[in-house]
Amino acid sequence: MSSTERTDGDNGTDGFVAEWRNGAYNCYSSGHKFCREVCPVMQVTRNEVHTPTAFHANVVAMEKGLLDIADVARDYVHCTGCGACELRCPNTLFTGDFYRFRTRTVQLVKAARALAVDQGIHQPGWQRWVEETSRQKSEPVLGAEVPVSQEHVRDWAAGLDLPIGGETILFCDCEGAFHRTSVPRAAAKLLQRAGVEFGLMREQWCCGGPAAEMGYVDRAREFAKHNVDDWRAVGARRIIVFDPHDYISFTEDYPSYFGDEYDFEIVLFVELLAELIRDGRLPLTHPVERTVTYHDACRLNKRKGIHAAPREVLRAIPGLTFKDVDHVTQWSYCSGAGGGLPIERPDLTAEISRRRVERAAALDVDTLVSACVWSERPLTEQRGALEIMDLLEIVALAAGLEDER
Amino acid sequence: MTSTLVTDPVIDELVAICGPDNVFADRSSRVNRARVPAPFPVHRWAEHVPDVVVLPTTAEQVSEVVKLANRHRIPVVPRAGGTGLTDGAVPLRHGIVVDVKLMNKILEIDLDDRTVTVQPGINMLKLNEELQQYGVIYPDDPASYPCSLVGGRIGTSGWSLIGGRYGHTRDLVISFQIVLPTGELIWVGDGGGRKVRKSSTGYQLKHLFMGHQGTLGIVTEAVLELVPRPEAEFAAFFSYPDYETAWRSTGALAKSGLATLAGVVLFDEWKLDYLRRDDEAYIPQPDDVRCVVATAMYGTTDEVRPGAKRLMRIGKDTGGAYLGDEISQGDWASRHDRYATPLHGRLRDGQVVPMSWHCEDASINWSQLPQVRREWHEIVARLGDNFRIFDDWGMFAYTNAAFKPWGDYLTEIDVGIWEQELDDAAWDAWVTAKRDIAAVAIAHGGSISACHGACRAGEVDLVPEELGGGWDVMKKVKRVLDPLNIMNPGKYLLDEAYE
Repeated sequence: MSSTERTDGDNGTDGFVAEWRNGAYNCYSSGHKFCREVCPVMQVTRNEVHTPTAFHANVVAMEKGLLDIADVARDYVHCTGCGACELRCPNTLFTGDFYRFRTRTVQLVKAARALAVDQGIHQPGWQRWVEETSRQKSEPVLGAEVPVSQEHVRDWAAGLDLPIGGETILFCDCEGAFHRTSVPRAAAKLLQRAGVEFGLMREQWCCGGPAAEMGYVDRAREFAKHNVDDWRAVGARRIIVFDPHDYISFTEDYPSYFGDEYDFEIVLFVELLAELIRDGRLPLTHPVERTVTYHDACRLNKRKGIHAAPREVLRAIPGLTFKDVDHVTQWSYCSGAGGGLPIERPDLTAEISRRRVERAAALDVDTLVSACVWSERPLTEQRGALEIMDLLEIVALAAGLEDER
Repeated sequence: MTSTLVTDPVIDELVAICGPDNVFADRSSRVNRARVPAPFPVHRWAEHVPDVVVLPTTAEQVSEVVKLANRHRIPVVPRAGGTGLTDGAVPLRHGIVVDVKLMNKILEIDLDDRTVTVQPGINMLKLNEELQQYGVIYPDDPASYPCSLVGGRIGTSGWSLIGGRYGHTRDLVISFQIVLPTGELIWVGDGGGRKVRKSSTGYQLKHLFMGHQGTLGIVTEAVLELVPRPEAEFAAFFSYPDYETAWRSTGALAKSGLATLAGVVLFDEWKLDYLRRDDEAYIPQPDDVRCVVATAMYGTTDEVRPGAKRLMRIGKDTGGAYLGDEISQGDWASRHDRYATPLHGRLRDGQVVPMSWHCEDASINWSQLPQVRREWHEIVARLGDNFRIFDDWGMFAYTNAAFKPWGDYLTEIDVGIWEQELDDAAWDAWVTAKRDIAAVAIAHGGSISACHGACRAGEVDLVPEELGGGWDVMKKVKRVLDPLNIMNPGKYLLDEAYE
């Protein structure tokens, strides 16, 4: 029975293999799989085809003609893009400084998903999601029944009297704009309180990151181009983002699309917030009588190494009892909300979130604070007795901009 | 690349046993469960792909799968972490891979009688994360600590870096449940009590069912030792101007009688040369640093603090120069990560090429280490003379005994292989070298393997020679327990049991 001979004929596979071959061999040859037990998906499924090592070994297997992208496209769905595996990889840990080498599993997964899409292999949920995003220019975060639209993209800002345009733009991601609107509202009020001048985009589209993560690179570029054009049209120089996923899009994807022309300063809200509090420009005067722990947003902690600023902010809040879990331990934590997983495998996202909440509950806290708006919906669905708050929501309480419910 | 034994009706039966979500016959699931760490012969990957993969969740399911395999005469290969270095998890004859990773629950923590009962798919690091809150640990600490699984540790009879203090897997696993090759479920330990460490009742079956590389069954539950979480850790690294001095110092440290001493590790000159030229994490040392000895102690503060003073004195009195806290603490703390460091080695002309790490291990008595080291390096040098894809990365010798760090040493030679250039001729030369390395171990009164197992090509040929009359007993046991040669057939030359 020889059902495993790959049908040849180039359809992008050869280029994909050529690009990822060396990194794949580095992983394949060591095969040590330290990544496995920190992977949030693998911790739940325990299925070896969902491991970062399998994602690399598949490249070698494609080169050897043992596997085709069609055989593995579904496997590559099983990644939240959290980046834990890259940090835990011995190849990253011990040769990174010298070679500037880093195991790039997250990019490999994106490339494999793009290869699948190129070959017409679609995941139905993702395909619908991207089509709907293209149609409405924002992600369909409210489900099929409640369409999102450009008409309502700024509804979250009702009554805040925010200008359009200017040198500094506050970019609001789709989940914040339509679902957890309290986060962008808190963001805007905090900036206003601190006297930071900013405006909104004329017409804000999805950042394109989700489409890129799902393999729809051309679509992603369309969103990116629109947003960059909009920024230029209003003379923007500086973009403030509170969503870590946007931060990845604007600091990694966009530069790869536009090269040197792309010269915007991208400011992560939580880092700006820490600075404003440190400099006394944003006094936190209202005690917040809560016992909290912090959920390290994967894209901040694992992808960008940003874990100090959110902790600095939490420690500046009067009245708050902060029970911290260090950021390295949290390499193996995730909400399961990233990388399109909730769309294709909501069951896994729910279980990953359940485990994250369970770990927080064991600390005897009443609130789990996150700095990633996307994590907050699945965490809230599993919250039990805990409250799930965004860092900006809790800072807004401390600044006296909102009242405790 | 697959056999024809696993038909659709067999798959249906497997689904009936394990459930539809836990049976995988797709290509990706099978191809990804053929491989193990290098040197997995990548050019022969297709020969080792199983027909179907199951992820059972209970001992009863495992038992039923094995019984089914007996009925249909289909090979069964257990797979835990798949991180073993002697190919135990490679399905040589295809068949059914029983992957135990879904069986990863902690079933009981008994702080009175100091045991934890687990399923075989749990990882030691994950287990210790849970145990931390109770002030205890399970101290099985292989280089693969962050990824290998308890089931595989039992199947390979693993070795622990701190075994000199706490014992190795065979000492730390008190008893376990195993599915026999014919499908029956039994418990084995010291006698019958599941939490009893020492018994004189009957045969000592526990050891028989450890280290068999999947040829005698599949572990489905295990009772493990709990020890107090050490209050204090002390690591000290010493440097030496020559091997002779370092070797003598190693012996002196190991024989010191310090009860908290968990291990002594000797790095030879080739290892230092390699680290100097190609390890990016290497902290530069003066040229007269030719060898290194690493030590580590664990225990209560009251024991470790005075013990450390004695250890430092012995190290210095026997010619060692302390390498400082940064190297000692940092290098020891990164011991798990360090074992997979290299991305590259060098051709003879100095050109850097991507290479992967391969390790040959043996148990060697202290007195024989210098001679074995010479002969092993000569073997690898000859290999490199003929094939440019091999690079000698030096040797380590780790104290090997349980609870007492003297006597014999896990001795390993690390070889870099440019795997992308691996072909049949180079592979054959490699297998020959492995056989030669094993022969040296036996000739010096050692054993082919201290921790990996000895069933890879090359070394396995000499297992009958090493075991002598014991090899005949091993074959008889295999045949009696596995009359149809279902469990991991082709491993350990055990087909000879059926001739």
